Amino acid sequence: MTAINTEFGKELSKFGAFDFNACYNCGTCTAVCSLSTEEDSFPREMIRFSVLGLEDEIKCSLKPWLCYYCGECTTHCPQTAEPGELMMSLRRWLTSVYDWTGLSGLLYRSLPATITAMTLTALAVIAYAFYSNLELEKIMHTGHIFEMVAIASVFAVILLPNLIRMWYFIILKPGIRVPFKNYATGLLDLIVHMFTQKRTLGCDDSQVRWFEHLILVFGYLGLLFTTIFLDWFSSESTFIIVLGYVVSIIIFTVTVIFASERISKKRESTRKSQPSDWMFVAWLFMMGLSAFAVRLFIDLGILQSNIWLYLAHMIILVQWALVIVPFGKWTHFLYRSFAMYFDAIRKD
Amino acid sequence: MAENIETASYDALVIGAGIAGGEAALNLANNGFKVLLVEKDLSIGGKMILLSKVFPTLDCSACITTPKVSEISRHPGIKIFTGTEVKKIQKKSENNFEAIVVKAPRYVIEEDCTGCQLCEQACPVVVRDQYQYNLVGRKAAFIPFSIASPRVAAIDIENCTLCGACEKVCPTKCIDFTMEAVEHHVNIGTVIVATGFRLFDPLKIPRYGYGLYKNVLTSMEMERQLAPTRPFNTVLRPGDGKVPDKLAYVLCTGSRDATVGNPICSQICCMYSIKQAQLLMGALPMADVTIYYLNIRSFGKGFEEFYEQAKGMGVNFVKGKIGKITEKENGNLILRYEDINESVVKESEHDMVILSVGVMPNPDAGGFFGEGELKLDPFSFVHQTDLLGSPPETSIRGVFVAGTASGPMDIPDSILSAGAASSEAISYLNRKQ
Repeated sequence: MTAINTEFGKELSKFGAFDFNACYNCGTCTAVCSLSTEEDSFPREMIRFSVLGLEDEIKCSLKPWLCYYCGECTTHCPQTAEPGELMMSLRRWLTSVYDWTGLSGLLYRSLPATITAMTLTALAVIAYAFYSNLELEKIMHTGHIFEMVAIASVFAVILLPNLIRMWYFIILKPGIRVPFKNYATGLLDLIVHMFTQKRTLGCDDSQVRWFEHLILVFGYLGLLFTTIFLDWFSSESTFIIVLGYVVSIIIFTVTVIFASERISKKRESTRKSQPSDWMFVAWLFMMGLSAFAVRLFIDLGILQSNIWLYLAHMIILVQWALVIVPFGKWTHFLYRSFAMYFDAIRKD
Repeated sequence: MAENIETASYDALVIGAGIAGGEAALNLANNGFKVLLVEKDLSIGGKMILLSKVFPTLDCSACITTPKVSEISRHPGIKIFTGTEVKKIQKKSENNFEAIVVKAPRYVIEEDCTGCQLCEQACPVVVRDQYQYNLVGRKAAFIPFSIASPRVAAIDIENCTLCGACEKVCPTKCIDFTMEAVEHHVNIGTVIVATGFRLFDPLKIPRYGYGLYKNVLTSMEMERQLAPTRPFNTVLRPGDGKVPDKLAYVLCTGSRDATVGNPICSQICCMYSIKQAQLLMGALPMADVTIYYLNIRSFGKGFEEFYEQAKGMGVNFVKGKIGKITEKENGNLILRYEDINESVVKESEHDMVILSVGVMPNPDAGGFFGEGELKLDPFSFVHQTDLLGSPPETSIRGVFVAGTASGPMDIPDSILSAGAASSEAISYLNRKQ
């Protein structure tokens, strides 16, 4: 006998869920969803679980990650129960469930907590800058080292344990037996989904959404690669310099498109943006723009007299690396692709 | 039209001559009141006269309606205006309303027409027959349908080529193309609004493919295929004339659906679909009939037994609303839905799909009186100001509502409602100051 937990609905509403209790279980959402299959039928089942508060069933389910939010379900829902937004909220909730530190949940639930975290990181950067007597070269060097250390430690301390927790909920806890070789054969799926998000192509809406996202992913990974491994800010190579300009331009132009879609609310999936969604887009934009400006100032030889610009860039970078990447919306990059990986290996 | 004004006075004006309006008019007239019964259509009888059988007794609908219709037609206390619309009603004082009604020209002198149908044979113009819900054709000079009342011809002037063929063959010379609209100014004591309902237009749900896929029908089109006066004398799918053997009903098409602006239950679709399914089991003994439903609402007297009877006859009931319909090359249809009992999305193939369309308000009702005088409820049905104490009362004293003008209901409830409205109207007339 499963106990009904009505508190769960209140908890989900803090993650952005709307009036999903209005659902009268007609199944229109599942039937109009182009990604829903006989093996994996959603979203109605997830709505039912949410209404009943069956947390364990949701924790062990990959279905929230199998949805790529075209919003058809929400458009056609006869009860206007917003199934698409519920799936989005479940993804946010699952992100907080996978996170062992509990900080994800705190940041998703509370805007003041998020603002505090952002302020603290910014203050830390400014404090360090004054501690270094505002010597640009020293700060830039630290910035470069920070990037590498932050990536390695965030991955080792936060993201890897979280992925293991996800694996525990999806594979181990439900007692699914996965042959060891599947872990190897599934790797291809992991890579493909991580870099192409090709499942979005199965959505009924226009493929423009997929293309924009793909460009942004490559732009982002490109900027990461150029600044860290090719050391863009200190590079003398014309190729690297131009490459850095190109990827940073890609980032801030595509994020402008993303932001304008969230403002115009034309698409079902952008109608109900949460602070976490806005922050993700805004910080990506600022990161692209500030990186672009820093390199431009270097090329014009005026960065030395405009050290504030590099500081601004570094604040954005530190906030991104220490708040948004480990505890914010960035994690969908990993969870989405690992969801496809776990789905592939448990089905084989 | 100043030269075509006629004046008269009546005790009561009944708007709409469907089963509710007809019943109300009959009650008033039987109590000695003079009634003007106004009907927009060419025949009285409303939607009920076009139905096959009624639930849950499976009585013949026409056999119940036609005696009532002929009683109304020959009642000395009832004056019937068909093809007539109410333009304006003004309340002067209690028991004193002034109404302007406009009778459109029928181009046939009703009193002289014998209903011989010679004009119909002579007419060269063929258009879709709205009384058979466009399943077959009719002429531009036509008798609306075989059990119409009055059973006299009319000229569909919009499609008429004015060739004069009908005029030449008419034995009583009753066709008159010079007819014009006549405006009647009538003084009346009370008004009964019995404007009925509209069927939901399934074109508003494009994913069901109505209008695009020929073998997707509305329930009213299926009703005509099952009626005694049916066009094909059997059930055929419109796409290719094949006798269907795997039929599906899509319940809640346009009902309980906020996306089409109609969040309420239509109250009749579950039962009429179960009725049609039973009739189909009789008409096509080899056919499979599946009803896709959200909840079966069998709340009335004998309804649950009727539902059980359908299950016993082999009608297949599947819980799940149809999400979308796609057409195969052979005209068969693929229905995609979630089987709620299994939580699994499924697809099934049927060769004919019937959309159980819901009940929508008739927007005409609000327009008869001055702006906002006759209040409507949030769903645009006529607002009942004292729903529990006196259901026929509206926001205007002396104006009563009968039948589905006030909301979705089945035939017995419509007749009950008409009874209540007519007795309230009689009390109002007798309370004369």
